[in-house]
Amino acid sequence: MVHALEEVHRLLKPDGCLIEIHPILVNPLVKVFAGSTALFAGPYPGFDYQEDLRQAENALLQSVQGGLFTLQRSREFDFLTYGSSITELQDFWEEPAESREAELYTQVEEVMQAAGQGVKVALHEKARISKLLPMQS
Amino acid sequence: MAISVDPENNETRALFDLADFRGQHVLEIGCGDGRLTWRYAPVAAHIIAIDPKADRIALAGENIPHELRNSVEFHGVSIENFAQSRRSSLFDSVILSWSL
Repeated sequence: MVHALEEVHRLLKPDGCLIEIHPILVNPLVKVFAGSTALFAGPYPGFDYQEDLRQAENALLQSVQGGLFTLQRSREFDFLTYGSSITELQDFWEEPAESREAELYTQVEEVMQAAGQGVKVALHEKARISKLLPMQS
Repeated sequence: MAISVDPENNETRALFDLADFRGQHVLEIGCGDGRLTWRYAPVAAHIIAIDPKADRIALAGENIPHELRNSVEFHGVSIENFAQSRRSSLFDSVILSWSL
């Protein structure tokens, strides 16, 4: 990761900028919506990539502390992916088949069936976007 | 319904809040199927978008709007392999998109 950031630094013009986007270290939520009303929310069972996120945060931190970039600005935003069923979302995420047995997904399907037509399921992630400027050595 | 990714455009708003891509030469790393690329491509001068996942890149290439065919390139390659063959100081902006 640090090597990738070094390559990015080399490829950038001296007055250029790096925009970095990644999910933050918060368990995403699986939600069921009827219109804009959330009928259900539970922690996403597939949240097993905390270590990857920590490494990404550390790589960015190292790139700033090591004098490669300076952080100009960052902000967080909500990022939602919607589907008509949990199976559709899982196919999109390319989740392994065994994860479909997760208790939460059964709950989601029950809530969706009880609510009838017009409901949708979503994964609600939190993400951070940062603007970094290359430092000159 | 089909899968709908960020229909609220929260990511796009955040992107344009931080950066101005007008007339810029952009490298996007981790472009996937071009979901984010299409949001800023109309204002950029030229974009090279890369992703090591060949199936996603193929999808992106199939979906290039006609008016962007001369200004957007997709390559199925990692940043490490891409950088090997490129000289320094090429890009005004680099986007690392969910790929660190």
